[in-house]
Amino acid sequence: MESIVFGIGITALTGALATVAGAAEDTESNIGSQGDPNSQVQLAPQMGYLHRIFNKAIAGEPPAYGLWCALGAGLAWAFMAMQINAVLAIVLGCVLAVFVQGVYATTAYLGRTASLKKFGQPVFVDILKSMTTVTMAHAFVAIFCTVTLCYLMNAALGHPFPLPLLGLLWGIALGAAGSAVGNPYYGKERQYQNQKFGAGVPIAQSGNIVRYAEAGERNSLDNGFFTAKLGGPASGVCFGLIVFLELWRTIIFEKIGAGWGAIIVGVLMILVFTIIDRYIEVWARKTYGPYPAPVKEASS
Amino acid sequence: MTAVAAKPAAGGAMNPTAMAVGVVLLIVILGICWKVSPGLGLMALIGMVVGGVLIGFGTHFVPVGGAPAAMGQAPGIATGVAMLAAGAGLAGLFGGAWAAELGPVVAVVTGAVGGGLMMAITCMMVNFIYVFGMGIPAASGKVANDPITGDSQKEFKSQGTEGHGLPFVSFVGGVIGGILAGGGGTLIYLMILDVYKATLPTMMKATEAQIMPIAISAAGIFAVGMFLVNAVLTAYNITGTIEGPHDPKFKRWPRAIVASAVASALCGLAAILIVVM
Repeated sequence: MESIVFGIGITALTGALATVAGAAEDTESNIGSQGDPNSQVQLAPQMGYLHRIFNKAIAGEPPAYGLWCALGAGLAWAFMAMQINAVLAIVLGCVLAVFVQGVYATTAYLGRTASLKKFGQPVFVDILKSMTTVTMAHAFVAIFCTVTLCYLMNAALGHPFPLPLLGLLWGIALGAAGSAVGNPYYGKERQYQNQKFGAGVPIAQSGNIVRYAEAGERNSLDNGFFTAKLGGPASGVCFGLIVFLELWRTIIFEKIGAGWGAIIVGVLMILVFTIIDRYIEVWARKTYGPYPAPVKEASS
Repeated sequence: MTAVAAKPAAGGAMNPTAMAVGVVLLIVILGICWKVSPGLGLMALIGMVVGGVLIGFGTHFVPVGGAPAAMGQAPGIATGVAMLAAGAGLAGLFGGAWAAELGPVVAVVTGAVGGGLMMAITCMMVNFIYVFGMGIPAASGKVANDPITGDSQKEFKSQGTEGHGLPFVSFVGGVIGGILAGGGGTLIYLMILDVYKATLPTMMKATEAQIMPIAISAAGIFAVGMFLVNAVLTAYNITGTIEGPHDPKFKRWPRAIVASAVASALCGLAAILIVVM
């Protein structure tokens, strides 16, 4: 009984860590335009819209976070093998991983922006200096939380995979959850704030991203500030639910029926999420209604 | 013939010669494995091929919209095909590896359910953000009516887009994709682990308990690698975005099955050869 209570406590802690990790990951990727909306940031100067948006995307979020979390976890694992205290080892490992992220962000921004020279897009050194450090700070939070939850899975819950491998697995899952949920909010809702609310961006408007803020030109810190209100927390809830429910069903129900208990509970949870999804879909159709037919312009 | 003069290749067309070459390659690789390790090795390789095929087939179900989905211009999840399938499958592998000691059937099913659960949560949250964050209902651009619910799609598609969000059929496709990918990844892991558990003690002159950390780590790394190989191959087959099982691109799956089988066999053979040679 004590082991189950201990397991539930660790599960709750990992769920909380995953929620923070997901929120930080999405905000970091939005400040760096690392998700799919990076295509619009890259396209805008080619369409004549020069901007001051940071763009460090040279890999998708899942492989990038797979690398950084595996690196943080691997270094922490090595430090622990050197008899360094686990907390200190994880912090040190994550700090070193964040330096790699900083190098990656710097070279990515310089490389991507320099490639737009013929379209007149300048490389802003002040953007590089101010944005890179902010993405590094957010990346540290995301990597630290992910490596810590991997450590808890390995050391406290007894998962057989070594810490670096867990870092790779959950880093990729973190990036997948964060990009899936957070990208539309950053791409449609923020980059195309000048388009109609409640509708997708017409394909003809591609590249016409919002470039001006209330005062002066908009930069990526404004974008991070905006998406941290919904896209980030939603990504955090998504990743938190994935980690928490995966562990919860295993810790509590795996002993029942030689593993089949956890499987049945997993299937039931899938059905519950299916019902919730269907409810959301029907709610939207009823509440928002169909789009009005496009008005044809009268021929003169 | 120049590239300009060449006829545009039909994305979904099957090339019988290439398929036949793939099948022959697969038989050759299985033959090599039978020669070097006829019992356990061959059975493990067949298991790995089945696992790889499950991943390749499962990835076709995952609704991926890429960059257009991030702007609400196309339905699907706003990320890459390989990325999302990897995220789901590896979450499944995590659960499956944990349940390995409970037997292969339980482990594979646990991995499958883990992948499905990851996709169910992610797909639900995608629709959540579209509906409550952006005020956009789900609409498919490929079918007039949702094949499962029968809901009409056209009038819920905003002007100038190909649709947006995840209609119910795409949600179901995502869950099925996660289930197949999670189960396939776990199967590959279990097969490699079996081979390593049997061969490493003799090779390293150590007990099974002593080699287990190495066996688990190596099997896990190979499973992740083979997972990514199959997911990326399928992403090339899909070429960009796919809405799910109702998308015309879904019909390209036989090509990916052959490619996944050959790639998995080759990778699996490498994983086996490092311990039996």
